Amino acid sequence: MQIMAEPIYTVASDSETTGEDRTTSTFPEIAVGIDIGTSQCSIAVWNGSLVELLKNTRDQKIMRSYVTFKDDTPSGGVSNELSHEYDMLSGAAIFNMKRLIGRVDTDPVVHACKSLPFLVQTLDIGVRPFVAALVNNVWRSTTPEEVLAIFMVELKMMAEYQLKRPIRNVVLTIPVSFSRFQLTRVERACAMAGFQVRLMPEPTAVALLYAQQQQQAAHDSMGSGSEKIALIFNMGAGYCDAAVSAIGGGVSQIRALAGSPIGGEDLLQNTMKYLLPNSESIFSHRGIDEIRRMGLLRVATQDAIHKLSFQSSVEINVSLGNGSKLCKVLSREEFEMVNSKVFEKCENLVKQCLHDARVGIEDLSDVVVVGGCSYIPKIRKLLMEISKKKALYEGIDPLEAAVSGAALEGAIASGIGDPFGSLDLLSIQATPLAIGIRADGNSFIPIIPKNTTMPARKELVFTTVQDNQSEALIVVYEGEETRAEENHLLGYFKIIGIPPAPKGVPEITICMDIDSSNMLRVLAGAALPGAQHPATPYMEVKMPTVDDGHGWCAEALHGKYGATMELVTLRKKS
Amino acid sequence: MAISIVPCVHNSMPPIASSPSLPHPKGHSKHILRRQRWTAIRCSTSERANEMNYYAMPLMTSTPSLAHHNDHNKYISRILVGRKQTAIRCSAGERANEMNYYELLGVSADSNAQEIKAAYRMLQKKFHPDIAGQEGHEYTLRLNEAYRVLMREDRRKQYDTYSGGMRVRFGNFGTGLGYSSWNGPLRPQALFVDGNACIGCRECVHNASNTFTMDDTLGRARVKVQYGDNDQKIQVSVESCPVNCIYWVEKEELEVLEYLMQPLPKKGYGVFGGGWEIPANVFMAAKAFTKQLKRQEQDKKYGAETVEETPAQAEARANATMKIQREKFYGVWNWVKQVFSDRLGIPTTSFS
Repeated sequence: MQIMAEPIYTVASDSETTGEDRTTSTFPEIAVGIDIGTSQCSIAVWNGSLVELLKNTRDQKIMRSYVTFKDDTPSGGVSNELSHEYDMLSGAAIFNMKRLIGRVDTDPVVHACKSLPFLVQTLDIGVRPFVAALVNNVWRSTTPEEVLAIFMVELKMMAEYQLKRPIRNVVLTIPVSFSRFQLTRVERACAMAGFQVRLMPEPTAVALLYAQQQQQAAHDSMGSGSEKIALIFNMGAGYCDAAVSAIGGGVSQIRALAGSPIGGEDLLQNTMKYLLPNSESIFSHRGIDEIRRMGLLRVATQDAIHKLSFQSSVEINVSLGNGSKLCKVLSREEFEMVNSKVFEKCENLVKQCLHDARVGIEDLSDVVVVGGCSYIPKIRKLLMEISKKKALYEGIDPLEAAVSGAALEGAIASGIGDPFGSLDLLSIQATPLAIGIRADGNSFIPIIPKNTTMPARKELVFTTVQDNQSEALIVVYEGEETRAEENHLLGYFKIIGIPPAPKGVPEITICMDIDSSNMLRVLAGAALPGAQHPATPYMEVKMPTVDDGHGWCAEALHGKYGATMELVTLRKKS
Repeated sequence: MAISIVPCVHNSMPPIASSPSLPHPKGHSKHILRRQRWTAIRCSTSERANEMNYYAMPLMTSTPSLAHHNDHNKYISRILVGRKQTAIRCSAGERANEMNYYELLGVSADSNAQEIKAAYRMLQKKFHPDIAGQEGHEYTLRLNEAYRVLMREDRRKQYDTYSGGMRVRFGNFGTGLGYSSWNGPLRPQALFVDGNACIGCRECVHNASNTFTMDDTLGRARVKVQYGDNDQKIQVSVESCPVNCIYWVEKEELEVLEYLMQPLPKKGYGVFGGGWEIPANVFMAAKAFTKQLKRQEQDKKYGAETVEETPAQAEARANATMKIQREKFYGVWNWVKQVFSDRLGIPTTSFS
């Protein structure tokens, strides 16, 4: 194993993930924290006494997340300097990769990306979309994983140069709503970049940072520090997450998580559509000229939205080429009206999270709002209204929160201590989505419910639907929908050799185990009631097992086997 | 008994051993420190467990890598079949599983939410896999389950009822021998009716109907719910008993007393004897019974070391003993259940 742990990934390996390596929870070196956002990214490390964000050669702590393809050498936003913002919108740069990674071409989020300057092509059959950058007037294909990997290699080189040591271990923040399949894609990108990675949902990283600050405050005032319940709301360009965490004694215990792929990008696109209602038809056939005009509109709108955070109205004056010009005064009310659906979703997300955490608003000690969208007055107002608070928590930099939390987690997981107790912390995670199997017809039966504290292990007993049924299909899903196929498919396997018996008699036990590094194992065994030993060996399957085109698998399975290998719930065991 | 679900062979040494060229001597020594602290904790926990006659917690064992492959199947079957076989497969992990949630968290049975939270956090900080490595996995699972149950008032109440308030552990009978359930927090003293003295006057049932109930089969009163009524009502009913057969006993004694108050099968010799009996002096009988159990426990502990036998033989013997005891117990249990369950609402604990 020690030898196994050593290989350095330099190129894309097509084997699935870095599986085995992932379980090594104690890093031999201090792991760095990386936050790659839909639009911006940063890298931070514990320097022995506090968390420090690393700066690039242009003295930036927060860098743009994009990769430009020019000739043969792609270069990312870490090292590369754009001569102008428009360069990013020429079609040569790929960004928003966080919204594309691990999604299939039937996903509405992918469809929303089609209005971006680079090429996102969909066939709407449930396979990965075709993504391409414009290089010398040629659409050159790439993948979100590749783009993410190129980007991480740049971050890695930058950090290695500054820290003067090789970096292999990272804690990477991810949105709450990512499915396990998406996580495997992120892991693959990390493997391509030569990283051994631990993934951490963004709001839990923020909660850890908050826990450290609270513990520090308790130390300074010589008090023991009572328990605090914090609501964390994190909204960036691509994703919106909420978490409720109970914090005490340096331990952040996640009570509930909720996430959705809505963010600043949606605000931007809605506003663009509002400013230029026929924009989609204008840009539909993607000539070089159209891409340029779309870029101009995008930059102008983005700029206007930023300004609206500090002023009540903004004047947009942009020339879109061909002699056409857009002149408009956009007020804050208009902006909020245009995006009312997005804000409504945010509100529901927060309410859902509070409900799941079984926390009343009177129990909330602090409301922490972070991410790029935290500057939007409407978002701040919304959170204050829901929590009935007059002020939001001030002690955390909204743009540096997630990466700082990740760096703390990196230091803790590396097993280092701190003489002042600044690292006497622990983040106890919870599952963001329920995991279960398809049973009782087409229902999704959760085995590990949402918001279960990790590590977790649960089991349920199922039984057969046919007399003398000898085989059963275990189809594992992740999600919250009641109908199985509306959830994310993680994998499937067949359990064979069920002892012959009338339907409803055999006991098929399905056990799911998630360890603290978020590895999911599904175990299954069949036996007759009262038997001391199972009829056949148990099956143990690491999930997810599905690969690209997984949208098809469930349908194909159902079409081929129908109800012959189905299961129904027998009873709850623990 | 290695309790780790991860099939890959784990590095049982501290991680620093795998990279001697680590450029951080500070982190290095700190790490060892952390490990040592952890070892110290292990010792103290094991002492505590010792007192309770439960040595084994999954963390006490230090063979995460090699034993694993041999035990893998056994382990899987254990997690799949779960409690069903606890009585038969009494491995190290099982005994930790049998530790009740209060023991696991190291809190008293009447501790409040704040104390439980504090204990949970303290233990998590030591045993969470992020800190203790993969070995902490099993323990943390148990800890999470205990916390999940004890932090919710409804679940905790159910658990307390189910496990007979506090689980006084004797012999191989895990739970359910006590009859009465508890209302509210556990208190050091409990009510007990000496059925032999009871004349069935119903005075106590009349005064505190939520606490006492009438056992119509035996014509005696018994305690249904500890502290089911307020203190005043209970006081009145205790004083109203014409034969003074309601006693305040230590909560630790309660389960044994209540167990012995139920009719138990009498040893038969050929055609003579047999049948059912209740000890005439239940308090004396309880003392003797407890003593006997202690001796059994010790026999089991030291006896196994002196007799040389193969692990297979040992297992077979253990299985046989367990089975005999189980059957004996089932006889009593089923009878008791039959007699009382429908009328008096005994929690229908299933032991299968």
